[in-house]
Amino acid sequence: MTTPPGQMSDALSPVRAELLRAAHTDADALLARAEREAAALLDQARAEAGTILDDARRQGEADGADAARDRLVGARREARSRTLAARRESYEELRREPAERVRELRRADDYPSLRERLEHRARVLLGPAAEVTGHADGGVVAQVPGRRIDLSLTALADRALDRMGGEVRSLWAP
Amino acid sequence: MSLSGGIEYTAVRELRGPLAIVEGVSGIGWDEYVRITLASGERRHGVVLDADRDLAVVQVLEGTAGMDPEGVRAAFSGSPLRVPVGTDWLGRVCNGRGEPLDGGPPVLGAHDAEVGGAPINPVRREPPSEPVLTGVGAVDALTTLVRGQKLPVFSVAGLPHLELAAQIAAQATAAGEAFSVVFAGMGLTHADASFVRDALEERSAAGELVLLLNTADDPVIERILTPRIALTVAEHLAFTVGRHVLVVMTDMTTYAEALREVSAARREIPARRAYPGYLYSDLASLYERCGRIRGRPGSVTVLPVLTMPAGDITHPVPDLTGYITEGQIVLSPETHARGVYPPLDALSSLSRLMRKGAGPGRTRDDHLDVAAQLLAALARARQIRDLADLVGQAALSPTDRRYLDFDKAFLRDFADQRSDRPRDLDASLERGWRALLTLPRSQLSMLPARLLDAHGAKDDPGTGVSR
Repeated sequence: MTTPPGQMSDALSPVRAELLRAAHTDADALLARAEREAAALLDQARAEAGTILDDARRQGEADGADAARDRLVGARREARSRTLAARRESYEELRREPAERVRELRRADDYPSLRERLEHRARVLLGPAAEVTGHADGGVVAQVPGRRIDLSLTALADRALDRMGGEVRSLWAP
Repeated sequence: MSLSGGIEYTAVRELRGPLAIVEGVSGIGWDEYVRITLASGERRHGVVLDADRDLAVVQVLEGTAGMDPEGVRAAFSGSPLRVPVGTDWLGRVCNGRGEPLDGGPPVLGAHDAEVGGAPINPVRREPPSEPVLTGVGAVDALTTLVRGQKLPVFSVAGLPHLELAAQIAAQATAAGEAFSVVFAGMGLTHADASFVRDALEERSAAGELVLLLNTADDPVIERILTPRIALTVAEHLAFTVGRHVLVVMTDMTTYAEALREVSAARREIPARRAYPGYLYSDLASLYERCGRIRGRPGSVTVLPVLTMPAGDITHPVPDLTGYITEGQIVLSPETHARGVYPPLDALSSLSRLMRKGAGPGRTRDDHLDVAAQLLAALARARQIRDLADLVGQAALSPTDRRYLDFDKAFLRDFADQRSDRPRDLDASLERGWRALLTLPRSQLSMLPARLLDAHGAKDDPGTGVSR
């Protein structure tokens, strides 16, 4: 015994319709829930992102401040070391220049009398037996056993500069 | 430095260890400074350790390695070492002998002064009366440093005393008045020296700091000169220029060891633990150079740091230092182990001049009362801790348990501080108050009722605790 196909489909149509409706309702509910959840998640994510951003901003500001301080200290250190290096350069120049200039005294007309005075000074300090020799840079070096005196022109210039002491600061003083 | 007539002595009889024995000399005195020129033209420096008839024993600062007695020439300066003094020192970094390490020219000054100095005439001393605020809360509140005082830090190896010394040097102020710091590091490792340079960079750049760094591998006799140069520079900055100067000297134990080494080289009779018998007077010749002078501006305050070998406070260096100085700041390994910086042992620490530099009109009206109450409560807390070890915490009375809470609050909220941030005195005293208010009002008997009311002291400060 068979039921004609059209009749069977008619008989199932309420079931089908009900199933479809139920499926639609479920789907709508699911969709609504999913939307709610998505919205909640989104809100949460936005809030979290906001917090992270705030934290990052604070951290960044702190890091930035630290870095700025480090750079400031670094820049000051650099500036200071350059100033000091420049002062050192002018100081060394000041020591070099007179040494060169006094060497030129060797060619001056009154050099023999200068040398004579230096020899005399050496003999005063070390005694008449002192052996006096000329120095390549001009001036003399005298010695007796155990003692020696350097009266070369460069050594004398050096000592004169040592005696200047604080005056040298006028090179870089404002 | 003028050399007497420029005569150089060339007869070196012997080179032994760091010593050179020069013969044929005349008119040479002890401690005279010597300039030595080698055959190669290299310059070294020395100090006369002993002079007898025509012999002079010279300690060569850089050592005698590589020296040939044949070509050596020694020029005696006619006086002990003198250094130029003046404001040019500010902002400079030099070695223990005062020679620049910062790439600059030699430090120059319109005047020079003998590094040995002369102690201040006792009748011209002005009693200390104003504080130096270190920016370290526990030190300022409990052991206030007073201008013109000498207050040592006693530490043991492994504690952060160098960190504390550098922090104090970086932060200390004198109520807005012109202030400078002279930091003399002796026997520092290169790592420590570089830590100190970094920690003090800002103050150095501000032109308020003189940094003298003698490293562990520098000659020992230089270590003996370092604190003397520091104090000579400080004295001029204080009493002539009119600044308040804090001299931080670390580590004095290394200094004493250098003194022992030189004494042994001089073949002197050793005293306690082989230190020379004159260790006391030698230390006094340094520490006593601090103070204030009547009619002159400025002050020299000295903060020596020393490590006690094996934590022994009876060791000659802390022992003799304690005789001379006006109190001490003691660091404790136990507090350090609890993770507290600075690890101050408040009950063993004391500033004898604190009453002259703190309190009404100087720091804050309640300062001395709060400090006294903190120490009294801390002493009681220590007794209770010992008792708890015997009978167990459960057997303690509720009040006793409050003291244990106070002890924790004291270390955590009051004593502990970051090493790179200063804390002003007001903030420190407020923290002290907060720690004290963990105790019932009846226990705060050293504080006037007016102050207790103002700070809201309660009979029962906690919840669920009955008395």
